[in-house]
Amino acid sequence: MIASQAVRLASPSLRAVRGARRTHARRLPLQRESAARSPARQARTAVRSASWDLRIFGLAIAAIVLCFGLAVVYVSQTTALSVAGYDVQKLAGQRDEIRRQNALLEVQGARLDSPARIAADAQRLGMVHARYVPVIPAQPLTAKR
Amino acid sequence: MQTVRTRRLRLLFALFAVASLVLAGRLAYWQTFGRAELLTRATGQVRSDLVVAAKRGDIRDRNGAILATTVELRSLYAIPSRIPDTSLAAQQLGVLLGRDAAPIKVALDSGAEWLYVQRWLPEETARAIAALKIPGLGFQNEPKRLYPNDSIAAAVLGFVNDNGDGVYGVEGYYESILRGTDGRLVVERDPSNRDLAVGLREAVAPRDGADLILTIDLVAQTAAERELAAAMKKEHAASGTIIIIDPADGAVRALASWPTYDPSHVRLADPEALRDRAIAWPYEPGSTMKAVTIAAALNERVVRPGDSYNDVGYAIVGGRKLNNALGKAYGPTTVSQVLERSLNAGAAWVGQKLGAPGLNDYFGRFGFGVPTGIDLAGEVSGVVRPLAEWYPVDLGTASFGQGLSVTPLQLALAYSALANGGTLFRPYVVAGRRDADGEHRTAPVSVRQVVTPETAATVRSMLLSTVDNGIAHSAAISGFSVGGKTGTAQIAGPDGSYLDDQYVSSFAAMFPADDPKFVVLIVLEKPDSRLLGTLTATSVFKGVAQDILRYARIQPDRRP
Repeated sequence: MIASQAVRLASPSLRAVRGARRTHARRLPLQRESAARSPARQARTAVRSASWDLRIFGLAIAAIVLCFGLAVVYVSQTTALSVAGYDVQKLAGQRDEIRRQNALLEVQGARLDSPARIAADAQRLGMVHARYVPVIPAQPLTAKR
Repeated sequence: MQTVRTRRLRLLFALFAVASLVLAGRLAYWQTFGRAELLTRATGQVRSDLVVAAKRGDIRDRNGAILATTVELRSLYAIPSRIPDTSLAAQQLGVLLGRDAAPIKVALDSGAEWLYVQRWLPEETARAIAALKIPGLGFQNEPKRLYPNDSIAAAVLGFVNDNGDGVYGVEGYYESILRGTDGRLVVERDPSNRDLAVGLREAVAPRDGADLILTIDLVAQTAAERELAAAMKKEHAASGTIIIIDPADGAVRALASWPTYDPSHVRLADPEALRDRAIAWPYEPGSTMKAVTIAAALNERVVRPGDSYNDVGYAIVGGRKLNNALGKAYGPTTVSQVLERSLNAGAAWVGQKLGAPGLNDYFGRFGFGVPTGIDLAGEVSGVVRPLAEWYPVDLGTASFGQGLSVTPLQLALAYSALANGGTLFRPYVVAGRRDADGEHRTAPVSVRQVVTPETAATVRSMLLSTVDNGIAHSAAISGFSVGGKTGTAQIAGPDGSYLDDQYVSSFAAMFPADDPKFVVLIVLEKPDSRLLGTLTATSVFKGVAQDILRYARIQPDRRP
């Protein structure tokens, strides 16, 4: 069937609709007859139909559960990420504070190493500045046996 | 009845329809045309746009000792409305901060929503205040420039003002390198003002300032500052400076200036203390210039060390009589003896042999009259008048260092040229810098060859003789050869005439004289000792030199 035919079939004219109604009217007794003739078949059809409904319902439930599961996973991941972000921030703060303390200790070390401070403390302890330091010239080394 | 109900239903439907349309229209507006505005409002509530400050670079001495560094200190702030009892809080804070409680109470009761109680607290004080757990008080970290050696090397370092800008010295000269480039951080924040990990985040990392490694040696610098402070105290001098240079490349090992200041507390400093005397104080050098005059004449071969003249105690130059100090006459005198005895008449005689154009030219070659180009902010040039402006007498006076002005650094460099074989170097205080790209060393810059190595060696031996046998004998150090020259210069008053009984005393030296490792210049302005101020200068020199010789492990070159 080509596409143009399919379009024509999908949009039936008024005459075609009327014809279909007549056909349907002629068939009704036959159907009644047929139904009366095979209740087992009718039951089977009903069961089949109910089975499809159940399947669709099950699929819908599964889809909903899946979506819910995905949403829960997404939310939990996002929450975990946020918590991790807060942790990172907290750790970064701790790192910065330790660095700051380290810098303060370096400054304290530099203050303690300051020659001016050492000289002042030495003076306080009663030490005096050596005005002359004798230097012994190095003699040539000789081996004596 | 049914018709009425239907009408009401239709009316209700119409009302709902209109309301729905209005709502839909409004919604459509906010979703299309008003979207940007809504987004801006929403983002503004959670978005935080911060400047991430770059850390200012450290300054260290040549051995790595910290001279200046930036540390984040805690500043105490208050939200007065949250403090339950401001009187009690002010009292407790006053005790810990060492301040009167009344002004603190006034500040807390001023009605301000937020205020700093005190910025940049010492860590111990901050901890003690935090332990009080007073509601409404908090801390904020703020960068602060610290100078662990207090006033040591203040003239070299300069300082950083409250705006974070470097002023004077290395801080001022290398401001752009030390400062670095600030970064930026754009993030979304939650109601507790915490960064959100999920969400907008744009970050431009700051580029920290480079660390500077100076040529300054903290030990030599401390010795220089100590001796200078002692001399200033003893002599009640107006100002003074000590410069120590490595003559091999022009590296400044120490540079002290008095009066001085603590860069951490600049507000308490005398404004005059901010002027670095070594580079920003032009003065008439006096007799220390005789070595330069003689070097120029020797280099031009217009005199030889053994040439002599008959010293009658004065010289007539340009119709003016120029006397020796105390007017003493020495009879036949060699060029070497001119230095040993520091004779003005002799220097004028040598200057006349050289001639005014030659002397003026050599002053320029030795670097006088132009800034040395040292990497410190605030250098001045001194004044050497152009030859066209010289009077005939200027040849005589300039020969012994009067009638021109130089900075102490210029004179120290001239002596460095004599010490290293005749090369004038551009002085420098920054040996290198370290940044993210690695370490960059400063290459010494040779400006020019001023005199020949032979001339320089001859002048060195004359200077050695000046200390061993001459006027600078008090500068002799047992076990070491020292070459040097004293200077006692008159000071010109506001009207241009020289003041009575006020002098600038100085001493320029190099040691060990045979192969100088250091050149030292000491200058004292208006010492109480007046003409004997050079004795104090040589005493200061010995104190500094002995420390440096010991510290640098320089072997004696003479028998004690």
